[in-house]
Amino acid sequence: MVDAGSLATSLERLGGRLMMLFAVDSVGGGQELCALVHADDAVIKLRAPVRGDGYPAVTRVVPAAHWFEREIHDLHGITPHGHPRLEPLVTHPPDDGEVKLFGEGDVGPTHRGAERLAGPGVFVIPYGPVRSGVFEAAQFLVQTGGEDVAYCAQRLFFKRRGAERRVCEVPLELAVLVAERVSGTSSVAHALAFSHAVEGLAETEVPARAQAIRRSLAELERLYNHLEATVRECEDASLSVAQAQFAALKERLHRLAGRVAGNRFLRGTVVPGGTRIDLDTDAVDLIAATLAEWEREWRRVLAVLLRTDSFLDRLVSAGPLSEEDARDFACVGPVARGSGIDLDARRDLPYDAYPEFQVAHHSDGDAMARMEVRFQEVLCSLELIREGIQSLAPGATRSEIGPFARRSALGVAESARGETLYWLEADGDGTLRSCKLRAASFVNFGIFNRVFDSQVLTDFSFIEHSLGLSPAGCDA
Amino acid sequence: MIRWFLRGVTGRRLTTRYPRASEPPPSGFRARALLPSEPVTGEAATRAAAACLPRALSVDRDGALAFDETRCIGCGLCADALTMDPGYESARLGDSRVPLSPAFRRSLHIRHVDTGSDGAAEQEIAALMNPYYDMQRLGLFFTASPRHADVLLVTGPVTRPMEGPLRRAYEAMPEPRVVVAAGTDACSGSIWTEPEVLGGVDRVLPVDVYVPGDPPTPIALLHGLLLASGRAQEASSAGTKSAA
Repeated sequence: MVDAGSLATSLERLGGRLMMLFAVDSVGGGQELCALVHADDAVIKLRAPVRGDGYPAVTRVVPAAHWFEREIHDLHGITPHGHPRLEPLVTHPPDDGEVKLFGEGDVGPTHRGAERLAGPGVFVIPYGPVRSGVFEAAQFLVQTGGEDVAYCAQRLFFKRRGAERRVCEVPLELAVLVAERVSGTSSVAHALAFSHAVEGLAETEVPARAQAIRRSLAELERLYNHLEATVRECEDASLSVAQAQFAALKERLHRLAGRVAGNRFLRGTVVPGGTRIDLDTDAVDLIAATLAEWEREWRRVLAVLLRTDSFLDRLVSAGPLSEEDARDFACVGPVARGSGIDLDARRDLPYDAYPEFQVAHHSDGDAMARMEVRFQEVLCSLELIREGIQSLAPGATRSEIGPFARRSALGVAESARGETLYWLEADGDGTLRSCKLRAASFVNFGIFNRVFDSQVLTDFSFIEHSLGLSPAGCDA
Repeated sequence: MIRWFLRGVTGRRLTTRYPRASEPPPSGFRARALLPSEPVTGEAATRAAAACLPRALSVDRDGALAFDETRCIGCGLCADALTMDPGYESARLGDSRVPLSPAFRRSLHIRHVDTGSDGAAEQEIAALMNPYYDMQRLGLFFTASPRHADVLLVTGPVTRPMEGPLRRAYEAMPEPRVVVAAGTDACSGSIWTEPEVLGGVDRVLPVDVYVPGDPPTPIALLHGLLLASGRAQEASSAGTKSAA
């Protein structure tokens, strides 16, 4: 327990990676800040009661806190004094039909603007939230003189659905359905992270068979998400045949998911205590046979892609993210691993009995490096699925969730986009009193403006898709 | 490039023959709950309704289980009382049932708007362009501007910040125009509630075609778009609002 006044100093002294920073209502009244830090292979929790209406901002010394502190300010009215940019983040000003580009004149405290650049011919492209093509709602304000991107600001949280509130409101046995729908393309990872947290509260052991099924499904989900990023990059490069062939490969994975789990995005599979589905020998044979053929085709198409200059030219050196920035802003997933950070929750904060595997990482930090990480992870995931379906120990697939033995617990899972976190606090009567979730995209969106430094407008979509972000997950 | 050309011209046909031939779902697919023909009552009805997070199942005044398919997420938690319908074709016309324009029979241009989806519906819509579904063969095209669009394809429950952009996209469209709500959350708001979420798309705009599904499968979306163009019928299994 530290005081909020000294939280910044404590976090700076602690070092490590800031996983989450959020405010909760204290049991005895009042509010407290809660910080989770990953340092020395452990998760360290700091709780800091807030006295008065604010505290000295952590962002000044730990840049990774920047969005967390704006969120705390928006949702709890606690002011991080000295925050470099305390504008609304998750709340939106009333919609009067005009895009507010900059905080000028009487716009006052509701402005969500970027720094305005001056100069001859500089103009702003307000791109989104309804964007050309089939995309999720997000807005990007691109300031440009025509070719070079001078500054790109991201505006998110158009899709905020109140998932954290819903998780606590609904009966505990149905709450996993909410978690599955936070980021619908990472349903398994969100269900896993939530389930791990509930299992932590109740100190439940998950049967070995369920763990093997969970690993197989989580890796199948990683495959189709990495394929999605690949399809989008091929589309951006106008490689129609490559796009079609990778899209066909992706479709085969969804069809496999539909056959073994009854849902093309593997919903309704992972629950607290284990899994709702079992994989019988027919399902195991189907998975093994489908993926064996799938891998041969994947290797063939990828080999051609990696010899296609018009693809490589657009990705190599596009959207560079330095290791220092990735570390400062606590990036996760392929975005961090593409910038040389060896970080993977499956190995570092182990769960569900993953066997030893090689974590792919790359030091170039550009769009190509992030894609290379995904290409290596595809092969790794195939191997992990094979391992999973071969190690299905006989037995149950689900343990009973008993009364809660603990008052709070953290659940972790590595989605295709990176580390996904659920922090749950329980009341004495076995209900959830608070939930804080943090999808990988929440932290990775924070560096969106940085990767556009001195980039050109025509590379926008290549850079965006190499980050593989989920606005739904970020906004929750 | 020659390698891509060769890859493009070799290989077998993947494309479905839907809608000329049916595209059967795999057994065990959970598209939506299916009420039995005789009414479900008593404790079984209460238990099924209590297990239904999006409130697709409710107990009506006579104590019988009623089903609103536009709210069903296919989770299967009611399946000890009911069975699950695997059928892909879930689209239904809206209550207004305005005659859809004959101008739409040959070709449709579609503008997609996300108002707060979970992100999976977008990928299923994008899958319509993959070789398995290839929606262009049916005269269906995406367009970048609502001014060129016949169809507004909306995904997600409507969040407060997206209400204005949704209205403006609709107002920018020329008439006649069709609104398709794609996915259970767009049809009804699904599991999401006030204050962040207003509800389904029909809280903001008149919806002509509902395509429930969580997420809606590519065949369900094709069926919905063909229904909007007057080239398909509602599936017989769908359209049962309640058991009564």
